[in-house]
Amino acid sequence: MHEVSIADSLLKIAVDECKKNGCRIILNVKVCIGKASGVMPEALLFAFDALKAETIAEGATLTIEEVPVAGHCSACNADFTAPESYVLCCPQCGSSAYTLHEGRELDIKELEVE
Amino acid sequence: MKLKVASKILDANERIARDNRKIFSDAGVYVINLMSSPGAGKTSLLETTITALKNSLKVGVIEGDVAGTDDAIRIDRLGVPVVQINTGGACHLDANMIYEVLGDLPLSGLDILFIENVGNLVCPAEFKVGEDIKVMILSIAEGHDKPLKYPLMFQESAALIINKMDLKPYLEVDVEKIKRDALSLNPSIRIFELSCKSGEGVEQWTAWLQTLTS
Ligand SMILES: Nc1nc2c(ncn2[C@@H]2O[C@H](COP(=O)(O)OP(=O)(O)OP(=O)(O)O)[C@@H](O)[C@H]2O)c(=O)[nH]1
Ligand SMILES: [Mg+2]
Ligand SMILES: [Zn+2]
Ligand SMILES: [Zn+2]
Repeated sequence: MHEVSIADSLLKIAVDECKKNGCRIILNVKVCIGKASGVMPEALLFAFDALKAETIAEGATLTIEEVPVAGHCSACNADFTAPESYVLCCPQCGSSAYTLHEGRELDIKELEVE
Repeated sequence: MKLKVASKILDANERIARDNRKIFSDAGVYVINLMSSPGAGKTSLLETTITALKNSLKVGVIEGDVAGTDDAIRIDRLGVPVVQINTGGACHLDANMIYEVLGDLPLSGLDILFIENVGNLVCPAEFKVGEDIKVMILSIAEGHDKPLKYPLMFQESAALIINKMDLKPYLEVDVEKIKRDALSLNPSIRIFELSCKSGEGVEQWTAWLQTLTS
C-alpha cells in the first residue's frame, strides 16, 4: 500500500551508505522482504524504479529476496514455515502456543557500488 | 564493490518512534494508536469514550486524515485538546508526523492520548508512532472475512473492537467467526463487542481503559 514510502526510505539508506564509503554509483540493492510484511514485491520494484531517477542509484537494480513466515510451536516443539502470509495455529499439531520469528522482515542487506 | 548493510528499511521511523515513546512516558501519558478501515467508527468511538470518561480521565486526541479537519472539529466540540494532522496523501501516520505536533498538546496534563490513524486496514499496522498499544476497530458491516484478509493488523493489536453491533439484525455476518479468527491470529487479543450508536458494550471498553491508565 505504501511501497512508495518504503522505496523512498530504502533509497535514502542506500545513498547514505554509498557516500559514507566514498563511492559514487549504486549498481544493485539487495533487500529481504517478509511475506507477512505487507509489502508487495512488484509494487516495491515499481516504486524503486520510479524514485531512483536523478539519484546516484539511477542505474541500480533491486533484488528482492522473499522470506516466508516461520515459527516455533511450544506444544509439539516443531519448527515450521507457512505457505501463507499468516498462521492460525501450529501446522503440525494445531496448537495456538506458537511464536513467529520470521516473515516480517523489511531489511536492506547489501549494496553493490562503485 | 559489495557493501554489507544489514539495517531495517524502517529504521529511521523506529528511531523516532522510540523518541516519541520516551517523551510520552516522561509526561506520564498512556498512548493508544487507533486503527481501522475508513468509516468503521474511530471518531465515533472517541466521541463515545471521551463522553464516558470525561469526569475520570484527561483525554487528548491526535487526528490523522489524508485531508480535512472534520474529525478534529468533532473532537474539539467535546472540549478536549485535539490536533489534526493531514498526511497529504500518505495512507498511514508515521513517527515523524507525530513528533512534529507534540508541542501542540499539553502532554503532561493528559492521562491518555488517542492517535486516530488514517482509515486503512493495511499499513498503519506497520508503522510504530511511539504508542503503548495499538487498538483496532472492525465494524460488522465490513464482513467476517476480514481477519484472514488483513492478518497483520489483527496480530499487532492489543484489542479488537467489533463495532456497529446494533446493525447485527440487518446483516448476514458471523461475529463468532470474526472472534475465532482474530484469536487464532493473536491469542492474547482483547475483544469488545459494542455499538457507538446504542452505547451497548461501551462500559466494558471504558472499564478496561481505566485499568490501563491506573
Ligand atoms: N449504526 C451504527 N453506525 C455507526 C456506529 N459507529 C459509527 N457509525 C457511523 O459510521 C459512520 C463512520 O463513523 P466515523 O466514526 O466517522 O468513522 P471513522 O472510522 O472515524 O472514519 P474515517 O476517519 O473517515 O476513517 C458515521 O456515519 C457514524 O455515524 C455504530 O455503532 N452503529
Ligand atoms: Mg475518523
Ligand atoms: Zn505444534
Ligand atoms: Zn501506508
